[in-house]
Amino acid sequence: MNLLIAAVGFGIASGAVIALGSLGFTLQFGLSNVLNIAYGAFLTLAVFIGLLLVNANVNPWIAMIVAALVTGLLSVAYYQALIRGLLRRGASLGSLVIATFGVGIALEYIIVSIFGPEVQSYGLQGGGTVNIGDITLSGLQVAVVVLACAIMLGLHLLLTRTTLGRAMRATSVNRTLARSCGIHTERVTQITWFLSGVLAGIAAVALAMVTASFDFTLGSTFLITVIAAAVVGGIGQPYGAMLGGLIIGLTTEISAAFLSPAYRDVIAFALLVAMLLLRPSGILGIQSRRHNVAG
Amino acid sequence: MYFGTDLIATWGLNLQFGVTGVLNFAYIVDLAVGAYAYALMTLGPSAASGGFQSYFIGFKLSPILALIIATAAGMAIGGLLSLLGLRRLRPDYQAVALLVVSIVTVTVAEADLGLVNGNAGLTLIPNPLGGFGPTQSGWAYVVLVGVLAAVGYIVVRRLTDSPFGRTLRAVRDDEVAARGIGKNVVWLRAVVQIVGGGFAALSGALLAGFIGAWSPGAWQYVETISLLSAVIVGGMGNNLGVMLGTALVPVLIQQGAQYLPAVAGHPGLAEDMSWVVLGVMIVIFIWFRPQGVIPERRPRYRRLLGLAGAATGGTISPAGATQLPSRAAAAATLPALHLVSRRAEGDLAHDRPLLEVKDVVVQFGGVRAVDSASCVMQAGQITGLIGPNGAGKSSLINAVSGFVRPNHGEVLFAGHDVARLSAERRANMGLVRTFQLPRLFPNLSAIENLLVAVPNQRAERTVGVLGGRSVWGKQEQASLETARELLEIFELAEKVDDMAGTLSGGQQRMLEVTRALMCDPRLLLLDEPLAGLSPHWSEILEQALVQLRARGLSMVLVEHELGIVDRICDNVIVMAQGKVLATGKMTDLRAQEEVQAAYVIG
Repeated sequence: MNLLIAAVGFGIASGAVIALGSLGFTLQFGLSNVLNIAYGAFLTLAVFIGLLLVNANVNPWIAMIVAALVTGLLSVAYYQALIRGLLRRGASLGSLVIATFGVGIALEYIIVSIFGPEVQSYGLQGGGTVNIGDITLSGLQVAVVVLACAIMLGLHLLLTRTTLGRAMRATSVNRTLARSCGIHTERVTQITWFLSGVLAGIAAVALAMVTASFDFTLGSTFLITVIAAAVVGGIGQPYGAMLGGLIIGLTTEISAAFLSPAYRDVIAFALLVAMLLLRPSGILGIQSRRHNVAG
Repeated sequence: MYFGTDLIATWGLNLQFGVTGVLNFAYIVDLAVGAYAYALMTLGPSAASGGFQSYFIGFKLSPILALIIATAAGMAIGGLLSLLGLRRLRPDYQAVALLVVSIVTVTVAEADLGLVNGNAGLTLIPNPLGGFGPTQSGWAYVVLVGVLAAVGYIVVRRLTDSPFGRTLRAVRDDEVAARGIGKNVVWLRAVVQIVGGGFAALSGALLAGFIGAWSPGAWQYVETISLLSAVIVGGMGNNLGVMLGTALVPVLIQQGAQYLPAVAGHPGLAEDMSWVVLGVMIVIFIWFRPQGVIPERRPRYRRLLGLAGAATGGTISPAGATQLPSRAAAAATLPALHLVSRRAEGDLAHDRPLLEVKDVVVQFGGVRAVDSASCVMQAGQITGLIGPNGAGKSSLINAVSGFVRPNHGEVLFAGHDVARLSAERRANMGLVRTFQLPRLFPNLSAIENLLVAVPNQRAERTVGVLGGRSVWGKQEQASLETARELLEIFELAEKVDDMAGTLSGGQQRMLEVTRALMCDPRLLLLDEPLAGLSPHWSEILEQALVQLRARGLSMVLVEHELGIVDRICDNVIVMAQGKVLATGKMTDLRAQEEVQAAYVIG
């Protein structure tokens, strides 16, 4: 029983990070309908920008903010330079995925050739431990959970209480209709890609802080977990990403505690494939009509 | 050597992605399975290896037999992967699912569970030509791979450059339209997964035999992208283009990287940079030249059919157009229309209705698009289906043709309930439709759009197509004759070799109706065929429909323009708000108040 509760604690901690990463991914998808594989490389990029700053004795939290902002800007640039153009050229879904894959590989190996393939670390101390009943977490983990909750609350307020948030939701549901209602959909999309880059940056640096060591494959491995969370919750749905993050976090940590830690990722992946096969629209997804209904 | 093995693999991948549009990010798994299968079939029992590598099963078979078993194993895995296609996922979702499968498989293989010796992999794999490792055989191995690649080329060519390949391309271009003309899309995708899996596995087995070792490091998921880039760069759908792409990308860029001088302090720099170049190259090609260096080529039929413009080598000359028979003359004879209504004649002998819709309900969320609609359509007639916007006409057509499964009710076609059958099954039974917005295969030429629709093609039997032209040549010739005459009737003869995607709106609609006729329909469902057509095209179409009825073909015409309904429909069904409001002759219907009311309100 204690083991289970402890695993739940870890699950919430890692679920919070996954949810953040997944939010960024799902926002991109919701607004642009692109499955952006390069998101993984952006995660890696943020981690290594953070590493540069931490090695230069910058406070890790400030490093996180800077890395997030830089990743956000690069994310907009990437959308402007590539995704928008490919969408306008009417590229097929398949070639879009391959193009984002190409960018991801190129970016990932640029990072390797600069930083090398070695295992790296921010070298942070855990910041003491916090005990809540049977749950024992490091101070760092608690801080990350609090941060993630704050960001999710902020995003919730943004989506429901502000004009920009409503415009984002409208554009996500029906871009053409949104545009004819006078919403500047292009601007909204750019802002969304910036936000998703920022979220990727925060999630990635938070992950690197909590997991202690990482190498250049962090992004591409974490990407699958992120996609799994997004799909489980309902891809394109911000609240689905939050829920999915929590579910994936809990299932992976609990199975890691009771089975073998080696299969932590495999469980997440299996959940993803099962979800794609059984209910591709996800838990919170609307069982929409099939995308290609005739007539 | 690597060129040969890579080539076998990229041809298989081209069959899947380039020709059929199946984006298989788990392709490298097929290849790995081939490599492991070959290794396990030749290494001998695990215990005999002196305990330094462990694996779950081992035989000491002859290398040739092992190669065959490896290929078969890859085909089996390909078949397994194709099961993912049973759920009709968005193509990019499916790609991600396959990517995940690829990553999970590597993870499982890396874990040291005594399956295939974990991360260290298998070594001392016997070379098919004797000995171990690359130094043993040299040129003899190159010859072996060369011969197998040549055989692979013949196989892949027979598959892709034949009516079968045309059907695969139709699946790639528009899955919905392909189902609409009766192609079993799931099965066709499974076939290319299986055949492609065999190619990949053979390639993997040859690699493992040559290198003498095989480990998870050799088949990380990015390797699929490396092979995929060869297809994208070389030219999707073009086997020779892919050959060039293979020489450029996996061979030159990746194998070449290891011969570059090492940079001090960066041991893997050259290899890392080769991945960067590869990634950038993929993006550049998708952006600037998505068709690749050598684009897919489509066969040209103009000269073969002796159509106008042949003398000028495929370009359209205004003078050539006058050589065509006049429209009136064509309509007077219409021999092809007889050919396309072969099956329809049989239905005239029965007195039961050809189509009977009973209490059909189609529901989208809370909206009942079709609300307990019942109606009958008689053989040999043109039945009009009219009603205001949102009346449920198109939803009813979707339910009848199988593109929407009715929530309730029966659809009896010639006495059989087809309500639970797939759209492709119904199309093959002769229940053929057109779409409100024409759905053609944009990257097939006009005449190929027609030829692909022919039902029961001998070349579509997968084993049969390997026999080459002798198997399907005769049937193809007959189809060509029919297609030619239809193109002339519908004034599309000048466009015979033009890509369907480049035709004008009116031509596209004509071509879609013509394609439906090639399916040998018994009941043709036309969803607003006249919408947006110029008077010129409308007149041709109207004449053709009347002629077709005279030949015994039954039709349902969904239409807003009541003029044509008045002129050519025998019976008319009026729908409003999902319900059938009235049926009867148009003249009688006009007098009914509720019909008038529905139109005024709608």
